Amino acid sequence: MTSGWRLGIQIRCALLSAPPVVSTRNDNSRKGQSMNRRTLPVMLVVVLCVMALCMSLAGRKVSAQNATAPPSSIYNPYPPGILPTDLNSELARVEREVDFIEAEAIRQWHALAPPVPTGNPPILKGTGVASVEILGKLMNYDKNISPFKNTACSSCHMPYAAFSGPIPSVNLTMMAYPGSDRFRAGKRQAQRYTYSSYFPPLQYNATQGAFFGGNFWDSRATGYKLRDPAGEQSQGPPLDPAEMGNPDSACITYKLSLAVYRPLFEEVWGTDSFPSSFPPNIASICATPVGAAIFGGSATPVMLSPDDRTKSNNVYDHWAQSISAFEKSLSVSPFTSKFDAFLANKYTLTAEEKAGYDLFKGKGNCNSCHLDGRSTAPAPTSLGAVDTGVAADTTPLFTCFGSANLGLPKNPRVAILYESTPDSFGFTLNPAGFTYTDFGLGEFLRSGYETAANPNSSWTQFAPTSDGQMQTMTARDVALVPPQCTGGTDAPGPYFQKEFFHNGYIKSLKQLVHFYNTRDVYPYAVESGHCPAGTVEKVTCWPSPEVPQNMDMTVGKLGLTDEEENQIVAFLKTLTDGYTTPYPDINTYTGTCMTGGNASTQGNSTILSAEELRAGAGARLH
Amino acid sequence: MNGFLVRVVVTAGAVMLCSTSMAAQTNPYTANAELSPANKAAHVRITQGPTLELANSNSAIIRWTSNNPGGTDEHFGVVTYGTDPKNLNEVAKSHIRLNRNHPYTVFRVRVDGLQPRTTYYYTVDSMEGNGSHDGVKGPIRHFATR
Repeated sequence: MTSGWRLGIQIRCALLSAPPVVSTRNDNSRKGQSMNRRTLPVMLVVVLCVMALCMSLAGRKVSAQNATAPPSSIYNPYPPGILPTDLNSELARVEREVDFIEAEAIRQWHALAPPVPTGNPPILKGTGVASVEILGKLMNYDKNISPFKNTACSSCHMPYAAFSGPIPSVNLTMMAYPGSDRFRAGKRQAQRYTYSSYFPPLQYNATQGAFFGGNFWDSRATGYKLRDPAGEQSQGPPLDPAEMGNPDSACITYKLSLAVYRPLFEEVWGTDSFPSSFPPNIASICATPVGAAIFGGSATPVMLSPDDRTKSNNVYDHWAQSISAFEKSLSVSPFTSKFDAFLANKYTLTAEEKAGYDLFKGKGNCNSCHLDGRSTAPAPTSLGAVDTGVAADTTPLFTCFGSANLGLPKNPRVAILYESTPDSFGFTLNPAGFTYTDFGLGEFLRSGYETAANPNSSWTQFAPTSDGQMQTMTARDVALVPPQCTGGTDAPGPYFQKEFFHNGYIKSLKQLVHFYNTRDVYPYAVESGHCPAGTVEKVTCWPSPEVPQNMDMTVGKLGLTDEEENQIVAFLKTLTDGYTTPYPDINTYTGTCMTGGNASTQGNSTILSAEELRAGAGARLH
Repeated sequence: MNGFLVRVVVTAGAVMLCSTSMAAQTNPYTANAELSPANKAAHVRITQGPTLELANSNSAIIRWTSNNPGGTDEHFGVVTYGTDPKNLNEVAKSHIRLNRNHPYTVFRVRVDGLQPRTTYYYTVDSMEGNGSHDGVKGPIRHFATR
């Protein structure tokens, strides 16, 4: 996501190995010491760059605040009702849980046997796999990576939610998670890690006429360089202005160099991995969120020598590979569900689960995209029928690695729609305000608004036919919740409030299946919050799709009964890991479960009028 | 499995066990990319429809069922339409994914940009993701918008 944000003012002084041209106010006193070591020509160039920066900042008429501490006031451009009332306490809860698991990871690291490098290239005999997986886990739960040391990767991806959003009230309201600079927030829900590392690098298949692979909802983590989309995905949030928001990837390198687990990093990736030195003002720079006006749009405010910049880039690639190793480990993607036991003849599906599986393969047609890798024979459609299919030549990952525009209505609660005014650092996340439309894969292929650069120009031609498409996630672990929420994801519970699809519009699995089943049965040309009298939103009324073009028509009118919808939900629950072996760290949720209501209208009490929200956003914008 | 057994205490004071398997293990599956296209059907015949599923003042959905055409999983239903049955000069197509395990395939095509209270004539076909048509033959049908 980050590169798209860097289209602003670029001051290219980095090529000269000069002292930091872009520095925070706290670093000004150090600048003289640094400059004394420079030659006159370099000083002249530096002066010119500083002048250019000052001019650019003056033109903006914004001021960056002191960068060494979190802003004294939160950024709150949101109309009433967008932010949940318990946001601060819930963020604090998650911070405690993250710290707890980080401490556990440190113990796991210390419990490793001493490394035994063997052969050339050296292999850590016996401990290599565990070492890189634990290293990834340590990184994943490290809050110190963020500018204000309050946000780890896991802050939005906790194991008890299948490594998706851990705060029920956020899942119910603002949808996207607050970044390190409270409360910047993005445009999509935190996608589950589980099995994401099985996605291949993004490719255009000319025979199929479609894209497959990549990570992120819009597939922008292509894997083009590391050949590891999950790894490249992990390089996004640390620099995303709406998430951790580091101003430079060198900040992650710097923070890893200070991490308590640096010895493990060097054990895995080499003792000479880190840059020889960092500029004296790096701590201050790295405590300032990306996009701060004081950076003047620079993508590399940390001044490093070319050699050290290369080392830093390599460290950031190793960050990616380590986290990807963790995500693919049995700690995250273990294949321990009832369904896996069923495939191994160690579990018998209940009558309801079996009916749901038959519908999943048959009338519901879910496995046209969520491939179960199972039957090569026509699916039996009657209860008690024998499945004579044999395992097909594909992994039962419950995804086709493709993308589709399912026609989700615009969710007017999405936080980014209101971030049209500068925060305390002079950064405006979304100047377009409420008019922003999420075109997903199509927008990425254009290297467009609020996405990443497309690394393959031959793909751009397919942008119009990819508009609105979002990645087909695995259905595995869609129902995974903390064990104390015994009712799962759906009311009346006790349930753990999750959110579904890229914009979190759907709030229960019942609603999810009902949407696939009836999107084209109850279509209304209205926005969310404006369903006609006599209808119920998400039950007998589906507002207009956010992106009407390229809508997938495999779904929309499946003809499922209410009972059949429930049976599919029952089957989806069999895809929850942790049946054959306890799911690691699933017991770390210390929040509460919700009760009451029903799954069909779950969350409807929080629906706000899109018309009123848009009017309010427009008033702020103008 | 060389897992770790870690005794943890959560804030509520309850004692829970977390088994975290971090040591050298391998997943039971290997990743495959998408499948190669299935064999194409010798003939693709409509078995139900085509018929109007839904119509309003400016859009409609046409629906039909055929035998599974095979070929690429990525498929499109295609509706060629117009207000003159002798001059069907507009084309709408909608994406679906074939289900290889189904002997049949339901196609549904969304036709947008229509005029209110107007009769349209149409024929249908289907095609693979690469644009290769399935050669579906059928009579000209018609529907009316509201």
